[in-house]
Amino acid sequence: MISFYIFGILCAGLLFGDLLLAIFSIKRVQLAFNLFILGIIGIIIIYIYYTGSSASILNIISFNPFSEFFALLFTVGVALINLIYYSFADDYRELSLLLTFSLIGMYVVAFSSTIPGIFIGLELMSIPTVFSVLLSKKSLEAATKLFIIAAISIAIFSFAMAINYGGSGAINLIESQYSTILLIAVILFIVSLGFEASIFPFNVLIPDIYEGSPAYITALLGGINKKVGFAALLQILILVFIVYHSAFIVIAILSVFTMFYGNIGALMQKNLKRIMAYSSISQAGYILIGIAVATSYSISGSLFQIFAHTFIFIGILAIMAVLEKRNISTIDGLSGLSEKNQFIAFALVLFMLSLVGLPLTTGFVGKVLIFLGAVSAGLAILAFLGIINSIISLYYYLRMILAIYSKGEKVQMIIVDNYVLSVIIICLAITILFGVFPQLMLGMINNAAAYLLHL
Amino acid sequence: MQALILLLPLLFAIAAVRFVRKDYTRYIALIGSLTSLVLLVFISSGSYTIQLLNLGSYSLQISTNIAGINLMLLGIVLGIAPLVIFYSFGYMNIRSEQRRFYIEILAFEAAMLLFAMSYSFITLFIAWEFLSLTSYMLIGFWYEKESANKAARKAITTVFIGDICILAVIAIILSIAGTVNFNSAFAALQTRPGIDAIVAVLMIIAIFTKSAQFPFSEWLPDAMEGPTPVSAFLHSSTMVKAGIFAFVILLPIFSQVGFNSFIFYIAFITVVLATLNALKEKHVKRIIAYSTVQELGLMMLAISAGAVAAGVYFFFAQSFYKVLLFFSSGAIMEATEKTSIDETSGLKVNKIVYISTLFGILALAGFIPFDGFFASIGIGASFAGNIFIFAILSIIGMFTSIYAFRWMFLNSKKASPATITRYTSMPKSMVYSMVISAILTLIASAGFFYLGTFLFGNVYNGIGVAALNTTDILIESLIAIIGLIIAYIIYKKALRINSTFLSEVMNNGVIVNKAYEYFAAGLYGIAEGAFLFEESLSRLLDSFGIMFIDIAKLIRKASVGDINLYAIMLAVGIIILFVFVYIISGV
Repeated sequence: MISFYIFGILCAGLLFGDLLLAIFSIKRVQLAFNLFILGIIGIIIIYIYYTGSSASILNIISFNPFSEFFALLFTVGVALINLIYYSFADDYRELSLLLTFSLIGMYVVAFSSTIPGIFIGLELMSIPTVFSVLLSKKSLEAATKLFIIAAISIAIFSFAMAINYGGSGAINLIESQYSTILLIAVILFIVSLGFEASIFPFNVLIPDIYEGSPAYITALLGGINKKVGFAALLQILILVFIVYHSAFIVIAILSVFTMFYGNIGALMQKNLKRIMAYSSISQAGYILIGIAVATSYSISGSLFQIFAHTFIFIGILAIMAVLEKRNISTIDGLSGLSEKNQFIAFALVLFMLSLVGLPLTTGFVGKVLIFLGAVSAGLAILAFLGIINSIISLYYYLRMILAIYSKGEKVQMIIVDNYVLSVIIICLAITILFGVFPQLMLGMINNAAAYLLHL
Repeated sequence: MQALILLLPLLFAIAAVRFVRKDYTRYIALIGSLTSLVLLVFISSGSYTIQLLNLGSYSLQISTNIAGINLMLLGIVLGIAPLVIFYSFGYMNIRSEQRRFYIEILAFEAAMLLFAMSYSFITLFIAWEFLSLTSYMLIGFWYEKESANKAARKAITTVFIGDICILAVIAIILSIAGTVNFNSAFAALQTRPGIDAIVAVLMIIAIFTKSAQFPFSEWLPDAMEGPTPVSAFLHSSTMVKAGIFAFVILLPIFSQVGFNSFIFYIAFITVVLATLNALKEKHVKRIIAYSTVQELGLMMLAISAGAVAAGVYFFFAQSFYKVLLFFSSGAIMEATEKTSIDETSGLKVNKIVYISTLFGILALAGFIPFDGFFASIGIGASFAGNIFIFAILSIIGMFTSIYAFRWMFLNSKKASPATITRYTSMPKSMVYSMVISAILTLIASAGFFYLGTFLFGNVYNGIGVAALNTTDILIESLIAIIGLIIAYIIYKKALRINSTFLSEVMNNGVIVNKAYEYFAAGLYGIAEGAFLFEESLSRLLDSFGIMFIDIAKLIRKASVGDINLYAIMLAVGIIILFVFVYIISGV
């Protein structure tokens, strides 16, 4: 039990320590402090996971494999984002503080065992994010749009919560009985979380926001915030509303539209961040397939895909932040990248191939699990459409890869500082290591999926 | 695990090529590929498995197998790769970017080795995917050229159709067998009638795309846009052979479904179409490319009809003279700086080049004692019982001889002084690699007598290479000689007389067309129809692409970030969801 309290104390310590350091200290100390505390939190979470003790505190916080998986993912992701911020942002202290606030919100979403808890967590996460987009002066429009999305999303969420309470009388994440009024709540939950998780047709503004924000903040938006949306969606849909499994066909249809929207939308784009926005929308579509099928394989697949995409996306956006600093923002600008910096060119290509689903990378494992889940549940059509989408996506990835390995007109070396380099190397290592040895991660993921499905 | 050791020298070489000085890259590449070849001798046969993913009742293994036909393909790839790299010494010398070339060609070889030793669908898929990617890079090597880009795109689009099919097969096999090893897949499919047919259809589409069978054969001649060593490698031992190889190792599935007669007819169409195209074509390299398509068709034809050993021997023999002919094409195009056989000339200037090329042509046309003769006699003798098929195969053989000698004669016209200098000062590595492969075409003939027992001692029993008898040898030689005479009359004589009428006729291809009408009037009609079909299929694929791009434009127009639009989408989305759920749940 002691470890749970240590975890809580560390979170509080991180928050207050960061606040004090942001006011008084130099950036470097703040970075070191953040990474140190995040590292300890990560170790504690792993310790809690391996001792296998699950606990419920006051009936509103619960430690279980699912929440531990997501908490670990967010911890590592936020640590990487911290490094990227440190290297690129002028106002690292403020951004880092806001990020810490967001992180607490993410933990609340992951560990909460009530629907209002998830509500609070989402709020805690999204409001600081709006401010961090706002901090960069050029992205006022993106910040406004993000704010509007967050506001509408939260409004619908609270509406859905109210209907759910009226219908079932429960606020906890426990399986509810079948009733018509709750079906409305299910739809509204999907809609409201559809903003965060970029599900079609609620994702129309996503490419604008990703493009309008600086690349280092886009890394946070697509890499982590979106996954928080999925964490909430998984908890609510699978833990509470699994009884409406027959209605999940809606999610299947949404997933197909999301995939096609993302992949076809990316075909004609020129701006790199916009392409990545559409690409991440299409990845959300694959993840949704797993949720729609809702068997243990497919949920494992979704979780693995979430895990894979987090690090691939952060890696790519770290590289794009490097490029953005040199005013490279379009595909044409990529030309000759392999001559300018061999390593980041290679890393970028590998990340992209992993997004397509190249064997021996994490992207492949996630997709195999998702498609296997769909096929074994008799929904082979979803797997087929998913494979078609992978093929479509290859066209724009290959366009970028060819540009990277073509000859640029002027060779000017791009030098990457050690902070970003370490982020890229960590992301690349995770993408390849867990692609070749997926078994290392699958234990935790299978446990998380089993918890969700009450197996 | 042990089998993967073969890949190591290549991977080390790739890493080394990346870092050494530019002048040494080629030697590193050659040493890497030679080391792999040497390691092949020490590798012990047997199958190995690495667990990639274990999900309780499902597991994905990377399995490799070194025995029989796998070993043969490994031998071919490992033997030809150093030759190709050696040839590139001279060929790529004048061009820049050697480092990128050698990295890509080593990666391509590694992918093909993995393919050759694969023993589970997942290994097959991984190798297949890497083959697609590396071949995309190699065909589009000169990306500045729009045509190269387009050809690379065409190749990869066609091959992707195969990728989809293999992924689907993996999903199906995994869900019924729990594992993707070939053995367990065969066993599981035996008890599932219906599903085995689906698997067979998907696999055959994949195989057809890779081995350029009708109606997916168009990408192969276009793939000539790559550098010549790449074409030589692609056509002789790697990319296109992958399809045939997959067909042979998955043969139990096809035999079980009873698909072979269908495959037989498709292969037949491929053969006829490709032969006609080879006769019509003028581009030096594309003629040889169409000839490859024809030979792939012949292999499929033989294997699907049950003459497995004959087909596999063809597979083996074709590698050597094909690589030689591509080397020659590269040399000719390099020396004359032309690509059409109307304009190329001077093959006779450099005697070593000339004689080596002659070896290749004689093998292609089917003259004893070159390996091409044994290859075609094997196939011909397998169909000796069926007089109709045998007659058509003989006509095809004659046409092969005609276009082979047409290629030869038209390339040996009188050359200009500049061309002669370029012929005589041809890089040594190009000449020597041609000589080596010419010798190999002779040595490979011996395989006819040994390959059958080596490969099929206990696997596909009963269907050996037909024994040689004098009648077969006579018929086969006669066919080749008739082809030679016809080609001589049409092309050589016409040139010597220098008659404007004849050369006019020849250039317009009227005589060729007339010949078709006399010899194969019926076939030609079918061929045209089939060609139209293939054309329209590729148009259809194109139009899918265009459709996607149109939708993409629409999306780009729609998502300009208008908040109003967003509100509308939101409202419409919610309403549609409600209506839909209402209908589904019937409340």
